[in-house]
Amino acid sequence: MSDILEVKGLSFRYPDSTRRAVADFDLSVPQGEIVVLAGPSGCGKSTLLRAVNGLVPHMYSGEYGGEVKVGGVAVKDSSMRDLAQRVGFLFQNPENQIFMFTVERDVAFGLENLGVPREEMRTRVDEAMRLLDISDLAQRAPHELSDGQKQRVALAGVLAMRPQLVILDEPTSLLDPKTAAELVALVARLRRELGTTFVVVEHRLDLLVKVADRLVVMNEGRKVMEGTPRDVLFRDEAESYGVAVPAITQVQKMLAKDRLVPTSGLMTPAELAAAVGGGSR
Amino acid sequence: MMWLSGGFVFRRGTSRYHRLDPRVKLLISVLMFVTTLIVRSLYELAFVLAFMVAVAAVATVLRRVLRTMMLTALFSAFIFAVNFIVTGNLEMSLLYSLRFVAIVVSTSLFFITTSPDELEQVMKTFRLPRDVVFAFVTAVRFIPVMLLDTIQIMDAQKSRGLELEKGNIFRRVRNMIPILIPLVVNSVVRSGELAEAMESRAYGAVPQPTSLVEYRSSLADKAVAAAAVVTFALVAYSFYYVLPVHFP
Ligand SMILES: Nc1ncnc2c1ncn2[C@@H]1O[C@H](COP(=O)(O)OP(=O)(O)OP(=O)(O)O)[C@@H](O)[C@H]1O
Ligand SMILES: [Mg+2]
Repeated sequence: MSDILEVKGLSFRYPDSTRRAVADFDLSVPQGEIVVLAGPSGCGKSTLLRAVNGLVPHMYSGEYGGEVKVGGVAVKDSSMRDLAQRVGFLFQNPENQIFMFTVERDVAFGLENLGVPREEMRTRVDEAMRLLDISDLAQRAPHELSDGQKQRVALAGVLAMRPQLVILDEPTSLLDPKTAAELVALVARLRRELGTTFVVVEHRLDLLVKVADRLVVMNEGRKVMEGTPRDVLFRDEAESYGVAVPAITQVQKMLAKDRLVPTSGLMTPAELAAAVGGGSR
Repeated sequence: MMWLSGGFVFRRGTSRYHRLDPRVKLLISVLMFVTTLIVRSLYELAFVLAFMVAVAAVATVLRRVLRTMMLTALFSAFIFAVNFIVTGNLEMSLLYSLRFVAIVVSTSLFFITTSPDELEQVMKTFRLPRDVVFAFVTAVRFIPVMLLDTIQIMDAQKSRGLELEKGNIFRRVRNMIPILIPLVVNSVVRSGELAEAMESRAYGAVPQPTSLVEYRSSLADKAVAAAAVVTFALVAYSFYYVLPVHFP
């Protein structure tokens, strides 16, 4: 399978900074994968995402080295216009990425900017709203929406552009636990139904590791760990990089040390309880 | 503040007037505005105000408009007083102060029945540059967000012991600084994030962006516009050639 995203030896330093925000970074993401990116605050996660959708170097200039390719084309040599259609970027704060006064106009914002004809735009906007279950909010104003709804509207605006790759920067950090879980389920569903590839920066790993294919840990601009969520979370160094290892995984790890439960696969609380209960009977 | 939000902030409505083409609503308000300027007697002004009240009734915003009238009248009492002291002419002073009320009402009728979306459409018909229209759109879009921000910052600072209502006027102005600084910082952060999101959604990609919704004047819109122009012409004509004038 071909890689939709290839990052090779990427380095980037902001102009007024002495340290590189991203340093010698490599990453390959095949089509249809969900990759989670974790790491302590300031380690360069957002900067890496900016380099994937072209904000770095097109909007943020600085010292740029290495290469990022999306769908085989170098980001550095593509225009923002072109990149906007291939990479969708969902930012942390949904409030600051909703521009228009009605939901449907906002979902259409990117398509309007690209000059998509009205009939086609209508189809794509309706499709995106249906996909995210917000069709009944079409005429609402942004200030009449809950945070979770705002997040969906912003994501609908991203999906209406039909990107091959969607990147999300801490999408659940402003959401309550239930809405956050819904968003994660939504990501899994979109991958299944549309085959979209996702790169997600997230601190709340308990929700995401269940749907993620891969977990990448960053520290001081470098990639320090990479593997399946199970591999990474079971290694002791994960905690030293400030990765919030889910409590249930910590328990499983302790029990696995005493061979009470298997180390294959991350277990849900129910599975763990069943395994432990079954072992003692 | 109350006066401003009651008199000028759009609230959704379903009346026939709300559903008019926004450009026709603008035309009606402009014509009413001009009429108040060419009015020469209290009789004529009374007629214009009655006409505005009728429009407000059709637009189902009568109560809001009457309230705006009352509040503006309080303010224009000042205009009356100054005029009367200077000129000693009761009728003229009354005319000037009430004319101010009429001007405010004609403007208010447009803004309270026209959604921000429609305002954008009106700006586009005047062929204003895309950036100007978009700047206006975002400014209006973020008014409720900034208001909420302000309230939250005020609450936060009050809970840290800031006393907004204490002291003389200078003290009070100085007390606003702990509110203003976080507000400005928030806005700067916000505009940075907005710029990123705009870039990521292809803002400015093509010189002629398209629009999801199409505003087309219906036959009814055109008829209303024509009726408005004819009414204006008749009214202006009778002001100058039919009705008597009481003072120069
Ligand atoms: N616009 C900018 N100009 C200058 N330096 C920046 C800019 N944005 C980020 N940096 C710096 O680059 C480094 C990496 O920042 P980045 O925002 O990518 O980290 P992050 O991993 O996303 O952090 P967080 O988890 O807090 O969001 C930090 O040292 C930060 O101070
Ligand atoms: Mg970040």
